[in-house]
Amino acid sequence: MVIVLEGSERRRQHKYFNQLFRLRHQIFVKGRGWSLPSVNDCEIDQYDVDDAVYLLDLNDEDVIQGSVRMTPSERCSLLADYFPHLVENGESPRSPLVYECTRYIVLPAQKSREANRAAKARLLGAAVEWSLSRGLAYLQTVIDSVTLSSFVEMTPQTIPLGLSHPYGGGRKTPGGGECMAIRWPISQQVLDDIHAYGGVDRRIREISDFNPADRRAPVQLVH
Amino acid sequence: MSFDGDEYSKRTLDFVQRLQRLTKYDEICREITTELEWFGFSCVTSWSLPGPGGNPADGVMFNTRPQEFIERYCEKNYVMLDPTVSELRRTLNPFSWGDVLRRRDLTKSQKTIFDEAREFGARDGFIVPIVTLSGSMALFAPCGLEPNLSDRARAAIEIMGVYCHHALRRALLQNQREEAVHTPLTPREREVMQWVAIGKTDEEIADILSIGTTTVTSHVENAKQKLDAFRRTYAVVQAIRFGEITL
Repeated sequence: MVIVLEGSERRRQHKYFNQLFRLRHQIFVKGRGWSLPSVNDCEIDQYDVDDAVYLLDLNDEDVIQGSVRMTPSERCSLLADYFPHLVENGESPRSPLVYECTRYIVLPAQKSREANRAAKARLLGAAVEWSLSRGLAYLQTVIDSVTLSSFVEMTPQTIPLGLSHPYGGGRKTPGGGECMAIRWPISQQVLDDIHAYGGVDRRIREISDFNPADRRAPVQLVH
Repeated sequence: MSFDGDEYSKRTLDFVQRLQRLTKYDEICREITTELEWFGFSCVTSWSLPGPGGNPADGVMFNTRPQEFIERYCEKNYVMLDPTVSELRRTLNPFSWGDVLRRRDLTKSQKTIFDEAREFGARDGFIVPIVTLSGSMALFAPCGLEPNLSDRARAAIEIMGVYCHHALRRALLQNQREEAVHTPLTPREREVMQWVAIGKTDEEIADILSIGTTTVTSHVENAKQKLDAFRRTYAVVQAIRFGEITL
């Protein structure tokens, strides 16, 4: 089940946020060795703002098995702040119609290709679905260039914004590599592509609006 | 904030956009060949590596290298020897033939493969490794006499390679599906399949149509063959899918 949380709910939903920030620390700081601000084994940065949107893929025990953070690119954009050189098509990386995905995590309990694909589709399908409901034009993100193929495999509509550039010291340097920026147009076609990729059954989708008054659990977006 | 890019990024982003609009295999191949020429690549092979015991020729999605080279490559089982293939065990980053020659000490027989490529006018090439959905490897490998292998050209070919691989794969899948549609049923076969679909046995259909049971069986067998179906039930599914019968 994928749930949607907003940064402004950090206190009310502290159980989930605590779990998320710890997981991020474990994966990005300990696992990948990124130098990110962290306090008490929690990784929280300047983009964890009130209007950031978090998608959490939870298992039956309420444990996070996948997550992505989406921020309004107008105010919070890693691409614009740190990697503007990745955008080579002359367009601005900031727009009210573009959200940016960062801190992408997929950790399905079952380690098989199918489970991994389904987990990716569940999370990114939910991201596109949420963006459709908000009338956005694009989702954008900075990726490691070797993963481009998996994004194009999900949908051929994936748009490169420029060529690959080295980061963190270049090829063969630990923690470094080549990165690039991509966008996904927000459309039903892209959503269908993602569902087809993950073998997700479209009929069981369900979107409902978040209403904190009558829900203790956050909004359920995708089963 | 952002810049308009140079010739390399402009070309690549335009190319991707054009490719996204194409669905026909031949058009995709033409587009790829033309774009690669600008970089000085005269030939290209887009290839899914065979699994253990697989036939290397089966995985070729698009090839403009001379047929004799490919035939000899398969015949001599060069896939086991080719240093650009074994290089894939070390890296998923793109590399050139020159990189491999500089990085590794090659045996005489390994060098033969490069010599044979030189015979058709390819002195250097570039390999873009692609991990496929099934976890196996695929390559997008253009080559030429004196291709542009500058850093920017490499970055451009890397992105092109990924998009080309997926565009070719989709177009080939689509071709396979369309080919499966053809060979329409005869009116009698259609009539028989209509009865099969509602669960009648060959004997019952023979009674209804006042023909022999063996005739019915042969109509069903022919229909199964045309519909590429191993079982009756699947033949019914296929017949409905192709619009030959309705329920």
